[in-house]
Amino acid sequence: MSDRWVSGRQASGRRVSGRAALRRVGPARAAGAAAAVLLCAFPFYLDAFWLQVGLFSMAAAIGAIGLNLLSGTSGQLSLGHAFFLAVGAYGYVWLAGEPGPGLPPAVAMVLAVCLSGLAGGLFSPIAGRVRGVYLGVATLALVFLGQHVMVNAEGVTGGFNGRSVPPLEIGGFTFAETDPALVVLGVPFGAEERLWYLGLVLLAAVWFSARNLLRGRPGRALSALRDSEVAAAAMGVPVARYRSAAFVVSSMYAGLAGVLIALAFRGIVPDYFGLALSIDYLAMIVIGGLGSVGGATAGAVFVTALPLVMGRYADQLPLVAAPGATGHAIGPTEAARYLYGAAIILVLLYVPGGLGGLFRRRVRPPTPPVRQPKEQTP
Amino acid sequence: MNRIGRPAAAVAALAALALLGSGCSSKSEDASAGTGSDGVKTGRGVTEKTVQLSALTDLTGPYATLGKSIVQAQKLWADEFNKAGGVCGREVRIEVKDHGYDVQKAVSAYAEVSPDTLAMPQVIGSPMVAALLDEVEGDKILTFPQAWSADLLGKDAVQVLGTTYDLDMIRAVDFLTREQGVKKGDTIGHVYFDGDYGANALEGTRHAAQKAGLKVVPKKIKATDTDLSAQVTALRGEKVDAILISAGPTQTASLVGVAAAQGLQVPVVTSAPGYAPQLMDTPAAPALEKTLHVVSAIPELGSDLDGVRKMVKAYQKRFPGELVDSGVLSGYNAAVLLGQDLEAACEAKDLTREGLIKAHRDRAAGDAGLGAPQDFTDASQPASLSAYIHRPDKAALGGTVLVEDARKAPGAQEYLDSAGE
Repeated sequence: MSDRWVSGRQASGRRVSGRAALRRVGPARAAGAAAAVLLCAFPFYLDAFWLQVGLFSMAAAIGAIGLNLLSGTSGQLSLGHAFFLAVGAYGYVWLAGEPGPGLPPAVAMVLAVCLSGLAGGLFSPIAGRVRGVYLGVATLALVFLGQHVMVNAEGVTGGFNGRSVPPLEIGGFTFAETDPALVVLGVPFGAEERLWYLGLVLLAAVWFSARNLLRGRPGRALSALRDSEVAAAAMGVPVARYRSAAFVVSSMYAGLAGVLIALAFRGIVPDYFGLALSIDYLAMIVIGGLGSVGGATAGAVFVTALPLVMGRYADQLPLVAAPGATGHAIGPTEAARYLYGAAIILVLLYVPGGLGGLFRRRVRPPTPPVRQPKEQTP
Repeated sequence: MNRIGRPAAAVAALAALALLGSGCSSKSEDASAGTGSDGVKTGRGVTEKTVQLSALTDLTGPYATLGKSIVQAQKLWADEFNKAGGVCGREVRIEVKDHGYDVQKAVSAYAEVSPDTLAMPQVIGSPMVAALLDEVEGDKILTFPQAWSADLLGKDAVQVLGTTYDLDMIRAVDFLTREQGVKKGDTIGHVYFDGDYGANALEGTRHAAQKAGLKVVPKKIKATDTDLSAQVTALRGEKVDAILISAGPTQTASLVGVAAAQGLQVPVVTSAPGYAPQLMDTPAAPALEKTLHVVSAIPELGSDLDGVRKMVKAYQKRFPGELVDSGVLSGYNAAVLLGQDLEAACEAKDLTREGLIKAHRDRAAGDAGLGAPQDFTDASQPASLSAYIHRPDKAALGGTVLVEDARKAPGAQEYLDSAGE
């Protein structure tokens, strides 16, 4: 019946490994809790640079989870992710700022996410008509359209120079340096420290909602769509509706990522939301491993944090000259780029399933003895 | 029950550990603010021995050549400054961060250096400057951006040195009408970059052209456009009598080269960012020497000003074989002016960020001995209204020679007054 398509290859594999994992739920949960505590403790030790890197990574992870849903799970290639991030970021800034309606920032945040979803929904009829690489090229148009609007609609976007971002405020608590001034256990809590916890909460919410989505009926329907639309339709999946729903949800995640990036940047400029950003997001989900939430997160951290951290510490490496040295010596930035490139190649060569696959293999080894009897049952 | 209980206990234990541990976190120490043993008030970025400056530059992106010149020039200045005793017995140090023309890298580099920075003698890249503008103003870090858009005016902590792009173009139009035979009723084309650089420059052109009774034909291009054949053909169709260009050196070379090839023999004027001495090694060199002029807020490198001569000599000695271009002079100029601010702040016994900005804003005639003096007292006004006119010359040091000494373009003051209303 309508449940038949649930027992496809993908879904049954997942269900089995899920059951196997059930037995090990204790240690897995403990590891997760330990990671959560560790993440919560970071603001007490790390300086602004690391917290900033962490914030960028968290925002990127939220965006990558969204793109993964769209491109990784439902197989719709999108190069337009930067556009939806921009809609979220600029939507928030305009709605909460001056000029603009000047709404309470928390409301503006929710509306900005909805606005991104709306933009995704408006684009989805096009996504319903074109497939594969052609869809990728069609979404490319969004990036250029967005660039043009961002530079020219000065009343809303501030033009080339962009706009400053009003800090988020929830119930009298502001995510900025002061107001109220906050010192926790002797550590002054500035904007980065406060935003860090906001980022953690948002990332956790996105992580669990996306995971539930992927593990539930919609997730199975989307993977069925990716593997074969005809087969999925024959099994009762409403193809057009699911394709456009994937676009809307993914755009909403992108919008949320955009808001968080805007809050972390504190000043947004059109230059950032270019094609290179879209490509970065594609790289995140490919490096992380298509189709998994954990993979998208790992990929986002890899692509976002690695170049920044390498750039900071590359001057400690041997044979690397100080920035601006005479002659044609290799500076820290070049060294960081070489290393980053090498890291990408190594990951793609030796961990073809992506970083997410690496993680899965470590935590729970493949379980062929369990799968075999399952495959024998008709 | 048991199963859920154990992780919960582990979480509690870890949380307790983390909180205990944070007691010895280095972050809980208060930032050094107060008065040093010598009676000088200090704050972030200043210790008993050092004054920390930071530079956000581009050494690997499109402005790599410029970035390198400025970094080296400011390094030269720091060495000289420290040799002469530093400021208030403290040495200056410049931390150089390369963002490779990437906004995110610039923002993160700023987060890294800003807690311990007193001032920034260099920030390259309009998008990067724009993204950091509010933070710099909020953190009160005196900053000299290597960008000259009028949009950057009006911030106490941000100092645009010399003239802004719009003033450069007013000066250019003035030069064209006086010296190059452009007269009332003529048409001038303006090729400009999409963005604040081009938009600001066009504003100046429009104003000056209106005053002089000229018609302006604007042609917008993107930073990625490197072949301007279409624009030249269009401008030839409009029968322009002169062309202004607010773009990069590559675009200037293309424009002048294509115009020469098409037989469009009109004067071309650009501002300092539109020219680089490397153009003199391209096939467009003869055409450039013939038709191009450059408006610049700083003198040419072959200038007989004492300060310029001394700087060039020291630079060539310190970095033998390295290219000497206008970036060297503008970077050195910024550093010298900052050094004077530091000395003034030291004299007032206030080396805090606020004290430095106050010392800077108190100077009505900041003179680095490298060109026209500048007025820093009003943050909303350009520091200078005077600009030089240069001409490309292959043989000259820095690739340009002087055509007209620094002078105020007539109408510049009036333009600023009208913009203020």
